[in-house]
Amino acid sequence: MIEARNITKFFSVVNDDRTADGLTAVLSVSLQIPEGRFISLVGPTGCGKSTFLEILAGLQAPSEGEVWIDGRRVLEPLPSSRKEMEAYRRRYRFLSPIANSLLRDRPKHDIAMIFQDYAVFPWMTAIQNVRFTLKLRGTPRARRDELAKKYLAQVGLAGSETKYPAQLSGGMRQRLAIARALSVEPRIILMDEPFAAVDAQTRERLQEDLQELCTSTRQTVVLVTHDIDEAVYLSDEIIVFSPLPGTIRNLIPVNVPRPRRRGDPELTGIRERVLAIYRHDAEHLCDWSI
Amino acid sequence: MLNRHWKKYGATPGMSGLRELSFFLKTAFGGLVTIEFASVLVPLLALWELAPRQGWVPDTLVPPLSRVAMTMWDMFVNHGLWGHIAISLVRFALGMFFALFTALPIGVLMGWNLFLRKHALPLFQLLAPVPPPAWVPITIIVLGVGLPMQTYLIFLGAFYPILFNTYQGVKETDPRYLASARVFGASEWTLIRSVYIWHALGPIIMGIKIGIALGLVMLIIAEMHGGRSGLGYMLLESKEFFQMDRMVVCMVILGAIGWFLIEVMKYVEAKLALWRVGR
Ligand SMILES: Nc1ncnc2c1ncn2[C@@H]1O[C@H](COP(=O)(O)OP(=O)(O)OP(=O)(O)O)[C@@H](O)[C@H]1O
Ligand SMILES: [Mg+2]
Repeated sequence: MIEARNITKFFSVVNDDRTADGLTAVLSVSLQIPEGRFISLVGPTGCGKSTFLEILAGLQAPSEGEVWIDGRRVLEPLPSSRKEMEAYRRRYRFLSPIANSLLRDRPKHDIAMIFQDYAVFPWMTAIQNVRFTLKLRGTPRARRDELAKKYLAQVGLAGSETKYPAQLSGGMRQRLAIARALSVEPRIILMDEPFAAVDAQTRERLQEDLQELCTSTRQTVVLVTHDIDEAVYLSDEIIVFSPLPGTIRNLIPVNVPRPRRRGDPELTGIRERVLAIYRHDAEHLCDWSI
Repeated sequence: MLNRHWKKYGATPGMSGLRELSFFLKTAFGGLVTIEFASVLVPLLALWELAPRQGWVPDTLVPPLSRVAMTMWDMFVNHGLWGHIAISLVRFALGMFFALFTALPIGVLMGWNLFLRKHALPLFQLLAPVPPPAWVPITIIVLGVGLPMQTYLIFLGAFYPILFNTYQGVKETDPRYLASARVFGASEWTLIRSVYIWHALGPIIMGIKIGIALGLVMLIIAEMHGGRSGLGYMLLESKEFFQMDRMVVCMVILGAIGWFLIEVMKYVEAKLALWRVGR
């Protein structure tokens, strides 16, 4: 169970003329994602989806609000008053709040994430990348090789195991990132546009795989995507973000039993609803940022 | 093409030592033994030989190439040049060893952690601008003339470039890689070992190269200020007797040592940074 309570994220930015400015990337987003649910986040570009995902993963502290995963708080929000600031600084003066621990490899929560820009390590070969994450999760050495090979094959990277990311194409790198995240068999998986750079056929196959995986293992998935068809096809619920600052514009449940069929009229209907929201926003563009 | 490129950099596992050596020699001497460079080098050497012989420059000031070569032979065979080279190398190795042993960990720690950086960095920033040769008098008084003083001066020359380059490289590690390792549970120690150091490899090797260059400078300065052996001492001694040819021999050998060490570093970089080839 992931619970986001009133998540707000400010960024301070410096303008060209050296004046400071504030930017609200995410504004008071509250969300409950029960175990085993597949949620999609869609919204116009630059509306704070990636930021929200990183807050869920505990990679950025929210400015306000809290994220709880299975009854444990992910990160405390950033201080808002000077007194809080001092206490916060003192508490985290040696290790930043997003650090795990000094010596022991152990994730705070059972989360895997696929980053928008992949972030696979260029100094490790494909298989070393996967083995590295397996090692971080404490998989015994003997099983790492076999598991890594299995997941690389699943995303169609069999035969490219010993290549460095620089030798892989953009789409292959993305699939490597997918394999790396899936290999640790996490209970929660956060994906930031994971299928953006792969060809249509591979994308479809990966979507089927993902669908199957989620129905069989009850993983909780949060998927950020620009592909509305994909969101409709895969998710239990679609969350439409409004343009900056990102807030929840609509929650659209997709109550279509699985396994689903592409081009199902019910799915197309939902797709039309999402598109209508987009169109409406484009026509009645309201400036939230004031 | 890319594949061949990879092979060239030794990606194939289980390469024999002999092939490693030939690979090293090829990359090291490859740039020297080319027609293009020969067309520059040969005329230069000829000019070196001819100019003093023809009286274009006084040959008391510029000894011709052949005489320098004869002197070098004579010094190797009759005057124990080997010994001087060896003792210089020992001093240099000691100083470099201590510099690497301290500067690398301190640089990594300062780059990694803001708390440590805030405490330690200003100290080094204050001390580093003191030119290393300015340390010579005080070092001689404190440590006396001998191996400790020479080692310390070489250490001092190599320490700061290695420290600051390592620190800078580690500090500028791409936060995306850190985030992606952290999500999967990497501890800080694992981050240092598997992310920071690899990401900073280029700057670290750069720092070591600059450290080697400055270390050699300090080696000569240290040996000129005392001691009865080493290349720096020979240089100074030759100056007393106005032996131009011997001075040139020392300079040639020092240049060769510096060049060789830089080539070794290039080789190490090519070995460790396989993944950067082709980017
Ligand atoms: N570190 C930062 N400092 C300042 N502003 C930031 C920072 N990170 C993100 N932003 C701003 O926050 C907003 C949301 O960014 P985010 O990356 O979350 O968008 P997104 O919804 O993922 O967009 P896309 O769909 O294009 O990936 C953007 O306007 C961006 O400029
Ligand atoms: Mg994004």
